Formats: sequence, structure tokens, C-alpha cells
Amino acid sequence: MDQVWLVLATIVAVLFLELVVWQAVRILRKGKMKESDGGAKPQAKLPDQPESKPAIAKQPPKPARSEAITLLATLQREARFVDFIKEPLDSYSDAQIGAAVRDVHRDCAKVLDRLFAIRSMVDQEEGSPAKVPAGFDAGRYRLTGNVAGDPPFHGRLVHHGWEAAEVQLPAWSGTQLAARVVAPVEVELA
Amino acid sequence: MSTSVDKDAAKFILGFDLGTTNSVLAYAPLDAEIPQVELLALPQLVSSGTIESRSMLPSFTYLANPNEAGGGALDLPWAKRRDFAVGEYARRQGAEVPDRTVGAAKSWLAHSRVDRHQPILPWGAAESVAKISPVTASQRYLEHIVAAWQEVHPEAPVAEQLVVLTVPASFDASARELTREAALAAGLPRDLVLLEEPQAAVYAWLADRGDRWRRALKLGDTLLVCDVGGGTTDLSLVTVAEEGGELALRRMAVGNHLLVGGDNMDLALAHFVAGRFAEKGTKLDPWQSVALWHSCRNAKESLLAAEGAAGENYPISVLGRGSRLIGGTVTTQVDRQSVGQLLVDGFFPHCKVGDRPARRTASGFRELGLPYEADTAITRHLAAFLQAHGPAPGQPVRPTHVLLNGGVFKADVLRHRLLEVLGEWFTDNQPPQMLEGRHDLDHAVARGAAYYGWAKQRGGLRIRGGTARAYYVGIETAGLAVPGAPRPLKALCVVPNGMEEGTDTDVPSDEIGLIVGEPAQFRFFSSSTRKTDRPGELLSAWSPDELEETDSLETALPAVEGVDEDYVAVRFRSRITELGVLELWCVGTKNNGRWKLEFSVREDAEGK
Repeated sequence: MDQVWLVLATIVAVLFLELVVWQAVRILRKGKMKESDGGAKPQAKLPDQPESKPAIAKQPPKPARSEAITLLATLQREARFVDFIKEPLDSYSDAQIGAAVRDVHRDCAKVLDRLFAIRSMVDQEEGSPAKVPAGFDAGRYRLTGNVAGDPPFHGRLVHHGWEAAEVQLPAWSGTQLAARVVAPVEVELA
Repeated sequence: MSTSVDKDAAKFILGFDLGTTNSVLAYAPLDAEIPQVELLALPQLVSSGTIESRSMLPSFTYLANPNEAGGGALDLPWAKRRDFAVGEYARRQGAEVPDRTVGAAKSWLAHSRVDRHQPILPWGAAESVAKISPVTASQRYLEHIVAAWQEVHPEAPVAEQLVVLTVPASFDASARELTREAALAAGLPRDLVLLEEPQAAVYAWLADRGDRWRRALKLGDTLLVCDVGGGTTDLSLVTVAEEGGELALRRMAVGNHLLVGGDNMDLALAHFVAGRFAEKGTKLDPWQSVALWHSCRNAKESLLAAEGAAGENYPISVLGRGSRLIGGTVTTQVDRQSVGQLLVDGFFPHCKVGDRPARRTASGFRELGLPYEADTAITRHLAAFLQAHGPAPGQPVRPTHVLLNGGVFKADVLRHRLLEVLGEWFTDNQPPQMLEGRHDLDHAVARGAAYYGWAKQRGGLRIRGGTARAYYVGIETAGLAVPGAPRPLKALCVVPNGMEEGTDTDVPSDEIGLIVGEPAQFRFFSSSTRKTDRPGELLSAWSPDELEETDSLETALPAVEGVDEDYVAVRFRSRITELGVLELWCVGTKNNGRWKLEFSVREDAEGK
């Protein structure tokens, strides 16, 4: 009787182990897919369709790149933003800095306008009376001073806020090696 | 590849503005009750491996070194393994890698002294660069826009839509034909319509005004359209006439292809500022000079934006090149007012309406590069244009209204100066007025093209005008040959100025003998100023200003069956198709043979 139980237990254990291994392979495959595909196109059916594998190998999916890097690269390319911020200011006079900052400032503003169309959130003078409506979104208003009672609140506008009317970040299609490049090495050939 | 459009299947009207420096696509759904014209966002490379959508596609091609193109750096969503780039990235590369960047391909299309089918661009580039032809470059810009459209509208293939493509009014028949050729190669439908750019600007204005345009213009008014783009200036006159009791617009005259524009202004400013740097002992290297040009482009906008007080200084800087930005920056102060004057007086000087632009100094050899204008004074070119189209010599055309187009006119001072000069020319009566309403300086041409297509399909005001030029075939006169002297040449008018679309005409003339089995070749001329010549008129003398030679025409004459003669006697017959394409036929006088004349694509066009 003990032996019968042992056999049964072994069979169950093997079956269970098989299941575990199968699941593990499934999860691993899925994970790998996610990593290489950048999460762009989830393909849940992959384990059941091993024949789709060669197709994926033929067209290597694009490596992912942080959108923040893309923004930095754009600011650097069009406005020399990173060059400007990374340069120590100690040895320069205000006039020297001023000469450079004009161009950097103008071109940064152009980038922000084009990619985000940044505009003020309320259309009134700072310092004028302002109303915070009932049921306001805490992400859209920051209250300071004597915050008590229930909205609507009445106060003075300190900052009109900034909001991106659109988000038009460039799409990136470079290689994994270039994914973190903010500005490439520049070499002039004679 | 290109097919005719089934007009019922078309869902959209697409207006392509293939510009010298920027290209734009505007579109409108055909089923809308009122025209709703939108601009297509054009995804393009802005840096290697980086794609951004812009409303304009800079008309530049960067021909990459094979090593740069590897790794898909120049790929687009619709094109892999590219070895070239068009658009913003190409424009930026143009400043630093000029030897591999093609620009102003459109101006080359109009330059009949070179073969536009040969890979000649970038002009003067090294042998190692795989050059392309002006036609191919134009094709690539259109292909890019077509692909961008197809990405967003897979349900509406471009080849099945109604398409309007704009060309400069100054383009002659051969330049239009080359544009068409590039368009068809890019997948545009065979029955695409070519529309003159200044007319498109007027259509954009009409679209904006709706029926109110009748309040702005009245019978007998003359509208001057002044289009100053990055590299070219295009002038047209449109008059308000009456047809069947209704006000109608008629295009009366077009100017010559003038190669002067906003880029010249940037360069003029850069030269001036470089002089200021030199005074301070700062020598700019080539890279800094390019950066200075860029700075001046930006400074121009600020400098012209507001009337500067005398003596007020404006700083212009060239940023350091390496990562040491502040340390490497050189800067100089320019006097705001004097720089503003440099631009305003350099390009829009006060002058008399009888003045003429300075001519290019004649040199012994013929320069093959683009024939840039020697005189940058746009007002003097305008004066010459108004004189050329006046009712009598010494009597210029007097415009009542002005419509402006092109980014240059974003500057108030330039708009004001132009009107001021026009006012000085015509003091006896009310000076020419700016046409009221919105002038969308950057996108009007594409918008107007889309509106025109919509109006053509759905009914709406159209500008009539026919051909902007008269065309002539060169005929060598018979007579005793004089050794060393070419036979005198006469010009036979085959298409009169203003010949309407969809009409044809016989050209009465002596019989012309064509040798059977040999290609027959004719020199071909055009004139935008001779307006009264009728078909069949034979000119024996003309001034070089009047007639411009363009690509020659040829036809291969196969032996005619049943006719046993060495030559065939023919006369000409000309036709302007509904789409505005000029066709010239040789028609046998004794049999029914018909042979179409085509523009020559000879490889030795340079030697002409």
C-alpha cells in the first residue's frame, strides 16, 4: 500500500513539475519577448505558435529609449542646452554668459513651444483675485497660506501655472548602443 | 504605375506645394459641404534615428556616406535601409556637409542650360558622391509626402485622389513638364493638375474670405501677387473682369523666374556681421561662418520685427563649437537701425517705376551654375515687371491691391516698405492697398491648391488665364548660305499668350519639310511679354529680353506607309489640355500623319 502511494505521489510530483517547468518556460519566453519588443506589441499567443519565431528574428525589434533622453537630445541639438548647463560658470563674466544665453534661451523656447505648446493655465494677471472651484483637481491647483474650510476658495493668483497643450516628442529608431546618447561625438574630416 | 483617377472614387483633394526650400501638403475631404482645408503633419528625420512631425518638409536631400547610413540611422517608418534623407535633417546637414546636400532642386528644373535628367546635384560635388538629377530630387520630396499621407490614410491611395500640384508662374512649358514627370514617378495620378503658385495664394485668400471677396475687389481692379520665398521671387497680376454678369478673376501676366529671396537677406546680414567681427580682429572659421548665417536668420526676424531706435545695439553671437559653449562664444554688437536699413534698402530700395534691375555683367564664358540675380532689389524687378505688362511703353500696370506671400513678409517693415514704394510710383490716385484678410504666408500655396481642387470639383470661383506665355518654334530661313554665318533664325508663334485650357489651334505657315526616318529638332522659345502675337505670326527680329530660349523639341518621323517620299510637308497644330499641358503636333499637309513633338532630353544640353 505504501508503495502504491509512493508511485502515485511520484507521478503527481512529475506531472506537477512538468507543469511548473512549462509555466516557467512560458513566463520566461513572455518576459524575453517583452524585453526585446519594448512592450509595443504584446503577443500572448507566442508559446503556442513557435512558427512565428523566425519572423521575429528576421526583423529585430527597435531598442527602447527613454523619452527624457529624446527630449534632452532635442534640446541639445537645437539649443545646445546640455553644453550650456554642463559648463562651469566660475571663470566667465556676466557679459560673456549673457552673450551665450540669449541664443540658448531663444532656441530652448522654440523647442518647448513646438513639442509641448506650453501655455499658462489661467488667463489672468498674477496678483489679481483668483477663485479655486469646488471639486478642483489637486494636481491643477497648489494652495498656500491659510488653507481652511471648503472650496470654492478665494485668494490671490501667485503663479498662472504652465501646461503642455500637446506632447509631440520625436520618435527614435536608433541602435541599442546609441540609446543613451544625448549628443554624438563630432569629428570633422579634412 | 500612375493611373487616371475615377472622380467618383476620390475621397480627398490633395494640394501639393513643392517649394524651393519647403514643401507642404494641404488636403480637403471632397464630401464636405464647405471646403475644410487641413495641413498634413509630415514625419521626417530631424537627426539620425530621430523622427519628428512638422508641417513643412524642407526641400533638401542629404546623400549619406554608406557608413553613416548603416544601422538604419536614416530609416523612416515606411522605408528601411535608406542611404539618403530628405527634410529637416538634410537641411541641417546642408550647412555642415554641403558636398553631400542637394538644395534648390526646383530652381534647377527651370534652368534649361543643363540636362535636368542627368545626375548633376549637388552641383560641383566630388566624384565620390553619388549625385542625383534635379528631377530625381523633386521626385523624392513628393514621394516622402505621398508616403506620409499613405501612413495616415491607407484607405485613400494618393493615385486615386484628385491632386493639384503647384509650380511657379514663371515656369515655362519644359519646366512644367519636368515637374509633372517627377510627380508621376512619385506616384501622383496621371491627371494631376498644375496650378501656378501666385494663383494658389489668391485661392487661399478666396477660401478665407468666402463670398466677402466681392466686397474687397470690384470690376476693373488689378491685384498684384508678390511671392517672395526663400530662394525665388514670383510675380503675377490678376484682374477683376466681368463674365456673364458675374465678377470673374483673370490672370493677366506673370513675371520671370527671379532667383532672389529670403536666403539672400540672411546671407547679406551674415556678410555685414562678419565684417564687424573682422574689425574686432575675430576671424571666423568656416564652421563659425555657417553658424553665423544661422544666427543671422534668427536675428533678422528680431531686427525687422520692430523699428529700432537709432543707436540701439543688438548683440549677435556665434556660440563656441565644442562642448565649451560659453568660453568659445564670440559676440559683436550691431546698430539695430543701420542693420534694418541694410536689409530694407538692400532688397526693397526706393526707386522709380522706370528703373531697371542691374544686369549681370557679361563674361566670356557661360556660367552653368544657377543664374542668381545680379540685382537683389526686388522693387526694381517689380518696376520692370509692371513696365513690361503696361498698356503702352512707359506706362506701367497700376495695381489697385497687393496680396503678399512668402515668409519674408512676416516682417512688418518689409510689407510697409513695399506698399510705400508702390504708393510713390502711383501718386495721382489712391495708392495700391494691401488686400484685407488673412495672409497665411507659409502655407497659403498648399492651402490654395487644395481649395482650388475643391472649387473645381464642387463649383466655385476660378481664376481664368490660359497660358502665361506665348511659345515660338525657331525656323531657319531658306536662302543662300554664307560660310561661317548661321542662317538667320525666325520665330514662328505656335501658342498665343492666354491660350485657354482644353483648346487647340492650327498654326498657319508655309509648309515645313521634315526628313523621313530622321529625328527632327526645333529650337523652342517662350515670351511672357509679347501678348498680341497670333498663331502663325513669324518674327524676324526680337530683343533678348522678349524671347527666352528653352529646351528644344524633337520628333522621330517614321516612314509613312504608302508614301514614297524622302520628306513630309507638315504644319503645326498646338493644343493645351484640360490639365494645362502644352502639346505641339506636326500634321502632314498631304496625308493624315500626325507626330507629337517632345522636349529633347539630349545629354549634350550643356553645349547648347
